[in-house]
Amino acid sequence: MREVAFGQYYPANSFVHKCDPRTKILFLIVYIVAVFLANSFYALAALAAVFCLVAVFSRIPVSSLFRSVKAILFLLAFTALLNLFFYRGKTPLWEGSFLTYEAVYFTVFLAVRLVLLVLSSAILTLTTTPVSLTDGIESLLTPLKWVRFPVHELALIMSIALRFIPILTDETGRIMNAQKARGADFETGGLFKRIKAIVPILIPLLISAFRRADELGDAMDARCYWGSKVRTKYKKLTFTWRDIVAFVLCTACLVGVVVMGQFIPAII
Amino acid sequence: MTAIAFEKVHFSYTETNDGADKLFASDTSFALDGVDLSIEEGEFVAVLGHNGSGKSTLARLSNGLLTPDSGKITVLGMDATDEKNLFNIRKSVGIVFQNPDNQTVASIVEDDVAFGPENVGLPREEIGKRIDFALNAVGMEQYRHSTTTRLSGGQKQRVAIAGVLALKPKIMILDESTAMLDPRGRKEVIDVVTRLNKEENITVLLITHFPEEALIADRAIVMDHGKIVMQGKPQDVLQDERALRKCSLALPRSVRICRELQAGGLQIEDGFYEEDLAENILALLQEKRADIAAETETAASNPTSKDGVGEIVCQNLSYTYNPSSPFETHALDGVDLHVYSGDFFGILGHTGSGKSTFVQHLNALLKLPTAEKKYKPKKGKPIPQTTLTVNGYDLTDKNTDFRQLRKKVGMVFQYPEYQLFAETVFQDVAFGLRNFVKELQEDEITAAVKDALETVGLCYEEVKDKSPFDLSGGQRRRVAIAGVIVTKPEILILDEPAAGLDPLGKEEIMSLLHTIHQKWCKTVLIVSHDMDEIAENCNRAAVFGDGKVLAADTPKTLFADETLIRRSGLDIPFTAKLTALLREKGVVIPSDFTTDSFVKNTLRYVSTALSEGACHA
Repeated sequence: MREVAFGQYYPANSFVHKCDPRTKILFLIVYIVAVFLANSFYALAALAAVFCLVAVFSRIPVSSLFRSVKAILFLLAFTALLNLFFYRGKTPLWEGSFLTYEAVYFTVFLAVRLVLLVLSSAILTLTTTPVSLTDGIESLLTPLKWVRFPVHELALIMSIALRFIPILTDETGRIMNAQKARGADFETGGLFKRIKAIVPILIPLLISAFRRADELGDAMDARCYWGSKVRTKYKKLTFTWRDIVAFVLCTACLVGVVVMGQFIPAII
Repeated sequence: MTAIAFEKVHFSYTETNDGADKLFASDTSFALDGVDLSIEEGEFVAVLGHNGSGKSTLARLSNGLLTPDSGKITVLGMDATDEKNLFNIRKSVGIVFQNPDNQTVASIVEDDVAFGPENVGLPREEIGKRIDFALNAVGMEQYRHSTTTRLSGGQKQRVAIAGVLALKPKIMILDESTAMLDPRGRKEVIDVVTRLNKEENITVLLITHFPEEALIADRAIVMDHGKIVMQGKPQDVLQDERALRKCSLALPRSVRICRELQAGGLQIEDGFYEEDLAENILALLQEKRADIAAETETAASNPTSKDGVGEIVCQNLSYTYNPSSPFETHALDGVDLHVYSGDFFGILGHTGSGKSTFVQHLNALLKLPTAEKKYKPKKGKPIPQTTLTVNGYDLTDKNTDFRQLRKKVGMVFQYPEYQLFAETVFQDVAFGLRNFVKELQEDEITAAVKDALETVGLCYEEVKDKSPFDLSGGQRRRVAIAGVIVTKPEILILDEPAAGLDPLGKEEIMSLLHTIHQKWCKTVLIVSHDMDEIAENCNRAAVFGDGKVLAADTPKTLFADETLIRRSGLDIPFTAKLTALLREKGVVIPSDFTTDSFVKNTLRYVSTALSEGACHA
C-alpha cells in the first residue's frame, strides 16, 4: 500500500526494458554529456526529440515520468528565480525593466536542461530493475578490479541498499504514524522545532536498520556468503541487436550535438 | 548417519555481544548450559521453548554462525568447531530465520534464490536448475520474476526456504520462521517443510513456540534456561501441563480443552487435533444424543451514550491509494460499521482486506478529503455522503480538533516496541502526555506515568529510569502500550497486539487488555487474524473483505456462518471447528465458541445425553 517512490521500476515488456543495463547506463552518461554540450535551443530540441523517442519505446506512462519532475520542482523554481534576477543581461525586456532578455533566455535554457537530465535518468531507473542496474554497474566497473577496487562488494552493497529502500520507507511511515498517534506534530512549528520532532522517528528507525543489518548478515553467512572469491553469477549480461541500435542512437546524439555546436552559433 | 550431535555444549554470549544483542535483537541472548543432543538424518525434530531459552542459540551453533565455548558439535560427521569445515557445514545446514524481510538479499525472487548457489560457485546452468527445483518445491514457481516486497508474509518465507533449499542442504533449521506470520502463512510454511522432510528426506529442526506446530514432528525437545528439559514424542511431551508451565510454555488448545473436560468429570482421552477430540467425545457418548437448549443470553444492550463517548459510527467510508495512477488500489469501498460504547470489538480480515486502512481513519492518521485544511467543496461535484464519528468527533469536518481526537482515541500499532525511542522508560511513556497536554505540572505527569506503567503490570520504581532497550521484548511491548494509555483515551485501538508473542505472552497481553477495558478505556478495538483470540475475547466483531464490512455481529454468529467465513478466506476458531465436526454426527452443542462456554455446554450435553440414555435403557 505504499506510495510509489521516485524512479521506482515500472514493469513492462518494452524495447528499452529489454536493453542491456550497461547500454542504458552508458547511453545515459553520453546523453547527459550531450545535454551539457548543447549550447543552443536547436541542439536541446534535438535531444528532447531523442528523449521522446526513447520514452515512447519504453512504454512508460507520461504521468510516471512527470512524477520524477515533480520531485525537483522546488529546485527548478529556485534556480530559475536566481537566474532570472541575478543573470546580468544587456537587453531589458521593456523600457526600464529589471529583467533582461538574456536572463529569461538563460533561465528557460537551464530549466529545459535540468528537466531533460531528470527525465532521462528517470527512464533508466523506471525501465531497469535495481538488480540489473547494479549488475550493469558491477560489470562496467570490472576493470577496476585490477587496481584492487572491491567492485563486487560495492555492487552487493548497492543492491542491498536498493532492496531495503521500500522496507525502510514503509517502516518510516509506520513509525511516523505511531508517533503522530501519540500527539507528535511534524507539520507545524519553526525549523528547530521540526528538527527536534524528527528524533522520535529517527531513533527507532536507526535501531531497526541496525537490527535488520545484523539479521541480514547472519542470513547471508548462513547461505555461504564468502566474499567474491568463489562466487559465480547466475545472471549474465549479453548484448543484443537492441543494444547496437541504442549505441548507434547514442553516438548520433553526441556527434549531432557537437556538430550543431560548430554550425549554429550559441546565443549564450 | 547422525545429522547433528551435541556433546556437553556450553555457550555464553560475551559482554560485547550481549550489549549489541540487547539493542538490536529480541531477548534471545542466553547461554547453552551443557547440551547433549543427537538428531538422526531424516528426522523431524521440533524444539520448543520460551523466548530466551537458548533454542535460537542451538540453531546458530549447528551451522557455525556461533562457536561453542566448550563441548563438541558434529554435523554430518564434520567437526563444527573446526573452521575448515565451516563452508561445507553451511552448505549442508540451511537456516530460515524469523523475519522474512531481513533474510532476502535481492529484490527479485529468482535472484534471491540464486544467491546461495552463486556463493558456492556453481556454474550458471546448474544455478538455473537449482532455482527451478527450489521454487518448485515450495510452490512459488509462478512468482519467479516477482518483486520480493510485494509478496505476502507466507510467500516471502517460502522464498526464504527456497533460497536455502537451492543449496541442496541435508539439514534445514527453521528458527521461529512462523512467528511473524498469520495463520494462513504459518500453514503454508509448515506444509512445505513437512513435504520436504517426507519427499526429499531433509532433516528438519523446527524451532517454535507454538505447541500445535510441534505435533507434526517425530520428536519434540523442550528447552529452558539453556538446557534440554524434556524430549520425546510430541504427543507425550505436550501432555505434561506442569512441566510445560515451568518452562513458560502452554498446552496445545486441544489438550487444554480435554483437561477442562476431564476436570469437569468426563472420562475423555486427550486428543490433539479437532478430529481426534471430536471422535473422543463421540466415543464417550456412544450413540446417545441429547437436545439441550442454548443458555439464555443476556440481551446485548447497545448503550448509546449521549455525547457519543466510546462510540464509532461509520457510514459509506471509501479510500483509494494512489488515485489515478497505475498503482491505484481501492482499499476501502463503502464501509458501514457501528461500534458501541463499551464494546471489546474485534476486526477480522486477511492481509489486504482494508482493515488497517480503516483503523487508520479512526484517529485521523488518514484523513477524509473533506477534513483536509485546504478542502473546498467543488460546485457540481457531489460531496460523498460519508459519516465518520469517533468518540463524538465528526471526522468529516475540517474544523474538528484532531489533536483532542487523538488524545481520546489511542492507537497501538503492530510491534509497538519498535517505536520506543526515549532515553528512559519514563520519558517514553510521558512523550504522548507532554504532546497532548502542554500545561501539565511535573507531578501530574509523574502520577499519570506511574499509573499507566502499573496498569500494564510493570513496577514503576524498577523500570522508570531504565532504558527501554534494556527490557525484554514482552516488557517493551507493555511500555509501548503504557505510552498510549497514559492520556486516558476513551477508545483504544490495537493492531495485532499479540503478534510475535509466545502463547503465555499472548494470554498475558489479552488479560492486560481486559484490565484496561475495565479500568481505563470505554471501548477497545483489536485487529487480529487469530480467530481464537477474537472468539475468546471480543463481544462483537466485524469481518472485512475487499474493502467492505462483510458482516458485523457477535463472534458466535459470525463463526457459525460458514458461507461468510469461506468468502472472507478466514479460518475459524478451534472450538468452532470442533462444534461443526460434532454437529455432522448429530451432536449439537450450543456455545459462543469461547473455551469456557464450549466446555460448560459439552459437559451439560454429555450429562444430559447419558442420563437420558440411562432412562431409555
